Amino acid sequence: MRAALDLQFSLSFTVPKNMAASVSFRREFCSLARIFSGFSHLGPRAVFACSAHRKCNIIRSHLPVISSSSFHTGTVFLSAPSLITVTEEPDTLLQRVSLLVKGHDQAVLDSYEFFTTMAAKELGININKVYEPPKDMERLTVLKSVHIFKKHRVQYEMRTHYRCIELSHLTGSTAQVFLEYVQRNLPEGLAMEVTKTAMEKVPDHILEPMWKENPAEDGPNDVLLLDMLPLNFPSKAVGGDLQSL
Amino acid sequence: MASHTSKAFLSLGRLNIAGLGLNNSASRVTYAAALSTNSPKGDKGFPQRNGRGPVRKPRREPGEPRTEKMPLDQDWTAVYPAAAPFRPSSVPLPVRMGYPVKGGVPPEKKGNLELIKIPNFLHLTPAAIKKHCEALKPFCTEWPSALDSDAKCDELFPIKVESTDFVSAGQSVRNPSARIVHLKVKLSSFNLDKHAQRKMLKLVGERYNKDTDTLTIRADSCPLRQQNQDYAMYLLTVLYHESWKTEAWEDEKTVADMEEYSWEDSPSQKNMLNVLVRMKVAVEGEGEVREQLLGIKEVQEYKDSVTRLKNEGESESTMLQYKEAVKKVLDL
Repeated sequence: MRAALDLQFSLSFTVPKNMAASVSFRREFCSLARIFSGFSHLGPRAVFACSAHRKCNIIRSHLPVISSSSFHTGTVFLSAPSLITVTEEPDTLLQRVSLLVKGHDQAVLDSYEFFTTMAAKELGININKVYEPPKDMERLTVLKSVHIFKKHRVQYEMRTHYRCIELSHLTGSTAQVFLEYVQRNLPEGLAMEVTKTAMEKVPDHILEPMWKENPAEDGPNDVLLLDMLPLNFPSKAVGGDLQSL
Repeated sequence: MASHTSKAFLSLGRLNIAGLGLNNSASRVTYAAALSTNSPKGDKGFPQRNGRGPVRKPRREPGEPRTEKMPLDQDWTAVYPAAAPFRPSSVPLPVRMGYPVKGGVPPEKKGNLELIKIPNFLHLTPAAIKKHCEALKPFCTEWPSALDSDAKCDELFPIKVESTDFVSAGQSVRNPSARIVHLKVKLSSFNLDKHAQRKMLKLVGERYNKDTDTLTIRADSCPLRQQNQDYAMYLLTVLYHESWKTEAWEDEKTVADMEEYSWEDSPSQKNMLNVLVRMKVAVEGEGEVREQLLGIKEVQEYKDSVTRLKNEGESESTMLQYKEAVKKVLDL
């Protein structure tokens, strides 16, 4: 079973009483909705409708045919209970999820690492290891003066610090929840790369070779292979799906 | 609609300010009385005494900072519920930041730009994280307890699909590298006979790692990740089925195409048999049949040592074995 994420901020944050906070919330929703519409592993087509006042920001996303889960952010001021939709589609299993966070400031990376590890522990996710890959220094040397004085230069360097947090044995839903939480709270100035290793069973059409029934086939067998093409193979979808980005 | 509300806000604001202004002017009166002998400016509707142009609202004195009124057991998640810049009057900590003045200390938090510039985690204290996670727990699902070790996972789910997501700030949210998909699988998890395995290795070439017995297919030719995933699975299927097929031209496989060395019908066998036949003829003066020679134990040992040498390469043990075998065959 797979639990879809219906995230309502009224649960996690205290309901703001003044206008300023709700306006900032709305801006947050706007930018984050755009970020999440960019996640290609979900591939949603987010239609963002901003209605009047301080109220509803409804982000409806239409996911491709396979899954029936949906993103729904309700109003900040409604106190309706959250809806957890459980779909019939089996949950994906992720053997490893590796978060690589890059930034210029090591103190911010330290704080973020503390936040991420604590969040993982609270949600019951196994943390494999947390380590710090060596920093990258990009140096450049430029002329100090606008005109002549070739011997006098100025050197600059840009330091990129890294932090890698490896988690293991996550289900698809848990990974979605954790990653969304952690990415919404990514501070300014940090970038993140998430590498997921999903596990799959050997599909049915690879268990047995199909030539066993017809041992004497030759040339026209290439035609038979086309039967095994999955339904949404790119040959049909190249033109259409680009619009969904 | 929005314009109405903004006007409403403004009017509200003006009312508020007007109300506070009145209070403040009253308090300012008392201040002024204490400090100087200025006449009270109770009526701000009139222009300034020294005739400066239009009326300006009197400057409100800032009230007591919130830090003075904070109880020790307050709920900090209510003070900083979401990411917000650093407010020195809301954070009851004596923080100092910046380069110290000569012979002095770093500047204090009031009016400190350095503290505002750096991202703060005041909204993500352990208490706040616990609250958030409590709210998020219902959406998580449990990992199946039967799959606790990597070995079991590999056994039941041998195909691994790797993909990367990127989060960064910039003009565009997209990252073209997010479409790349790596499909890793161990060939031992498929049922392939000897011919199929050899053909698969030849088809796949460099994508196979012999040490870990892993086939890695990298799919990046399609613009979307789902398309690349589908294509990688399709490739895997095609490879599997093609490797079971035996084409007509595969009969023309020469010795140079063979993956392993085999001693039968090799120059080494011919040479050894020639030598042995000549030895026998010299000693006994009779013609021995080649098949009988092949059956001798020493010849078998020699065959094993040569095969091992050619397949595994030169090493201490293989050379020793070859030496022993040669000595036995030639009766040295």
